Amino acid sequence: MTDTVLRVENLRKEFGGLVAADDATFGVERGTITALIGPNGAGKSTIFNLVSGFYEPDAGRVEVDGVDVTGLEPYEVADHGLIRTFQTPRKLEGMTVREAMLVGPQDQPGESFLRLFTAPGAVAAAEERNLADAERMLERFEIDHLATQPATDISGGQTKLVELARAMLAEPEILLLDEPAAGVNPTLRNELVAQIRRLNEAGTTCLLIEHDMEFVMELADPVVVLDRGSVLTQGPPETVQGDDRVIEAYLGGGA
Amino acid sequence: MAALGLFANGLVFSSIIVLGSIGLSLVYGIADFANFAHGDTMTVGAYAALVTLGALGSVGPSLFGLPAAFFLALCAGFVVAALVAVATEKLVYEPLEIGSIGLLITSIGVAFIYRGLVQMVFSAESARYEVRQLRPIEALIPYGVRVTYHDVVIVVTSVVLVGTLHVLLRYTDLGRKMRAMADNPELARVSGIRTDRIRLVTWVVGGGLAGVGGVFLGLFNRLSPRMGFNLLLLVFAAVILGGIGSVYGAMLGGLLIGMVHEAMPLLSDLGTLLPLVPDAVGIPVGIEYAEAVAFVIMVAVLLVRPTGIAGEGG
Amino acid sequence: MVDIDVDAGPLGEMTATEQGVTAVVVAFGAVLLFGLLSGRLAPTYFLFLVGLAGMYALLSLGLNSQWGFTGLINFSVAAFFGIGAYGAALTTASSSPVAGGFNPAYGLVVALVAATVLALFIGLPTLRLRADYLAIASLGLAEVVRRVVLNERRWTNGNLGVRGIPGFFDGWPVLSTFPEAIPGLRIAVPLGATVELGEPFYRMLLNVLLVTVFVVGSYLLLSRVHRSPWGRVLRTIRADEDLARALGKNTYRFKLQAFVLGSLVMALAGVFYAHLNLFVSPATLEPITTFYVWVAVILGGTGSTRGAVFGGVVVVVLREGTRGLAGLEGIPLDAPSLRLVLIGLLIVLLMRFRPQGVLPPQRELIWPDVVDEAPDRPETGVREARGDGDD
Repeated sequence: MTDTVLRVENLRKEFGGLVAADDATFGVERGTITALIGPNGAGKSTIFNLVSGFYEPDAGRVEVDGVDVTGLEPYEVADHGLIRTFQTPRKLEGMTVREAMLVGPQDQPGESFLRLFTAPGAVAAAEERNLADAERMLERFEIDHLATQPATDISGGQTKLVELARAMLAEPEILLLDEPAAGVNPTLRNELVAQIRRLNEAGTTCLLIEHDMEFVMELADPVVVLDRGSVLTQGPPETVQGDDRVIEAYLGGGA
Repeated sequence: MAALGLFANGLVFSSIIVLGSIGLSLVYGIADFANFAHGDTMTVGAYAALVTLGALGSVGPSLFGLPAAFFLALCAGFVVAALVAVATEKLVYEPLEIGSIGLLITSIGVAFIYRGLVQMVFSAESARYEVRQLRPIEALIPYGVRVTYHDVVIVVTSVVLVGTLHVLLRYTDLGRKMRAMADNPELARVSGIRTDRIRLVTWVVGGGLAGVGGVFLGLFNRLSPRMGFNLLLLVFAAVILGGIGSVYGAMLGGLLIGMVHEAMPLLSDLGTLLPLVPDAVGIPVGIEYAEAVAFVIMVAVLLVRPTGIAGEGG
Repeated sequence: MVDIDVDAGPLGEMTATEQGVTAVVVAFGAVLLFGLLSGRLAPTYFLFLVGLAGMYALLSLGLNSQWGFTGLINFSVAAFFGIGAYGAALTTASSSPVAGGFNPAYGLVVALVAATVLALFIGLPTLRLRADYLAIASLGLAEVVRRVVLNERRWTNGNLGVRGIPGFFDGWPVLSTFPEAIPGLRIAVPLGATVELGEPFYRMLLNVLLVTVFVVGSYLLLSRVHRSPWGRVLRTIRADEDLARALGKNTYRFKLQAFVLGSLVMALAGVFYAHLNLFVSPATLEPITTFYVWVAVILGGTGSTRGAVFGGVVVVVLREGTRGLAGLEGIPLDAPSLRLVLIGLLIVLLMRFRPQGVLPPQRELIWPDVVDEAPDRPETGVREARGDGDD
């Protein structure tokens, strides 16, 4: 009995005659860390953008937890429990780290302009709760010492950790990580591996894109290989690694 | 008949818009920001020509009802506007370390400086070039077309300039690099194109064409320190219509916006012009709303097709 | 004006810039006081200037909640200012071609409703677009509004403008008769001339009272929402809209709300202007007003509420100062040109040397009462010493 959190069926997207996603079909089972890999231009980012609602597919279907989210706006997809991160998150200028964290929680009463005035008590209570959650989350990610630092003053790797922690405050069903290890120094990279594994063990399903193969092999199972917009093969990392077609795709497609 | 006359007027006005929009689109594509000082660059060109013409006087042989000195003044308009554009790039834009939005806001400041200086020297009153006013070409009047030789000069010169630019972009190495950079600045940088040089050439071409456009605008109407800023929105409309960064789109957009602007009277008796539509049908919009209609078209295009009519999707 | 900042601590806790700004404000106040006491500055004119400063502060507060909080490039400030002024004028004026003569309170309501409609009209189509498209489209649509006001004489009197606007408090109990009721005063000021405080003075005093109410009300409201979770989403949108969308925020709705909110504050400035000037004309809709306000916001510090108020005051000094400067003998410059150049230079220099403005927001913005102890201020301000790096 499998339990598919994210189901992608026959997804297709063209840009001015260039096919970026071509009949891509795969699923992400609950409790896994699934990796999406492939040579440059294989369509990984396009698939991420299609799944998270940033692009509208030309054809195909995306389901989160059995609910059709095809063509919905990103915020609606997020409402259904799919939260994504970005490869190069822009720093939230003018905010401290814990302020930036507070953007994460969903359905905050204080995000309604009217309720700021009709229900200030509820707003304050929620804010207090969220701040406590945020600080606890920062502790769990071992970056609580950064809480009151300006979000613009922390390193790239720390930004990635903050982003991950913030995404967790949204309590996602499935977390999409866009190159979590890109631009991160080796120490923090190991830290990231540990944190993602910890999240996964605590029950979070992850789908990640990553160029760093070592990182993928260390974390992911299964691995989905994309080539020219469609799924070439998928399976456990060892099997995929030994697959001739995969090697060929990387050699042929790689720059 | 009336339609033909309006079409001819539209062609003249379109030429001016096209000259403005090409430069704006190039700069938008290559320097990567919406340059709100572009209209005032046109003003600078127009006034540079005014000074040159004043200094040379109306001596020399006359061509199409314009003294030879006018054509020198036209060149002066190109050169001065280009120089001012390059100087601004070097002094103002290049040292800035802010994104395209910051550059956009800075360009507003630049626009005010240009306009304020022009106004200081030449006063806010409008002015005219010292050339003989012409009557419409007799031979064309029976067809309902009332254009002067001045208008012919505007259209012909614009076509020549646009043609030259086309050759530059299509058949020279420099042009290919410019197009590459307008398409994808990041890629161009990576592939070893000297982007700073291309940027400079862009300012020369864009500023120069704007200068010529300004001179023609002054010939077509009058000169005033606000002339360029007032035209700017129409030029932007043309650029957006054509797709930002696309030179050929800007030409097409400029042509369309110019036509719409001049063909406004047709809207009110649309029914009589179109077959199958009752004669009484029309959109009763006064010519005072010509600009407004052009902006509404621009916003509509933005909504339906943000990449412009000639732009590629995505 | 900056003194109403609720966060500002005693002098010792201020940053160097804050001390500088305070010094400038104090020095400027001293100059004005000297002018008043020496009889060189008529008290009524002084109050008029205070009124104008309040008006620009309002406009800046409005724009700040659009550009400063949310990153929306609104180049149609003049349109909202104008619609506020015309809304009030056409409802209340004796020469109104529509249906004048109503109580100014109705004018206020009409102006705010009209501004909301216009904000939706401009915002709904353009807020889905890229930031720079909004700039162009809003400037274009503001021009459309100006043309309509200029050309639809039946509704607006065209370029004749609307005359016979009553004072805001006409028809109110007590306040409407206040200026006449107060006995005129003649005060011998210490440094020379005598100063007469008559009916015009008290009228102007009422105007200042009105604008103070508007400014303080808007300021408190905007400061409160700025540090709320709602304001936090706006600030996230400004920094990275895609991030906000990915985190489940309906950014279009937030942007629309911020746009309408800011537009209402601008319309409030328009209402005040109509009752201050008692005459409105299409000149109120000139795009230059928009860019005065932009200068005020950038100068004050993008996203900073108190900075917006400060910027508003500086712009009035600049406007009136150039008038005075060009009036001096021996300077062959006309005020409008000089003003254009100065405004232009100010924009260019600010973007080059201090894109974050003079008083950038520096404090952590979390809903009050939640954080009990004031957070340690970071070594450098959150934005200090950093370019406005959005692109």
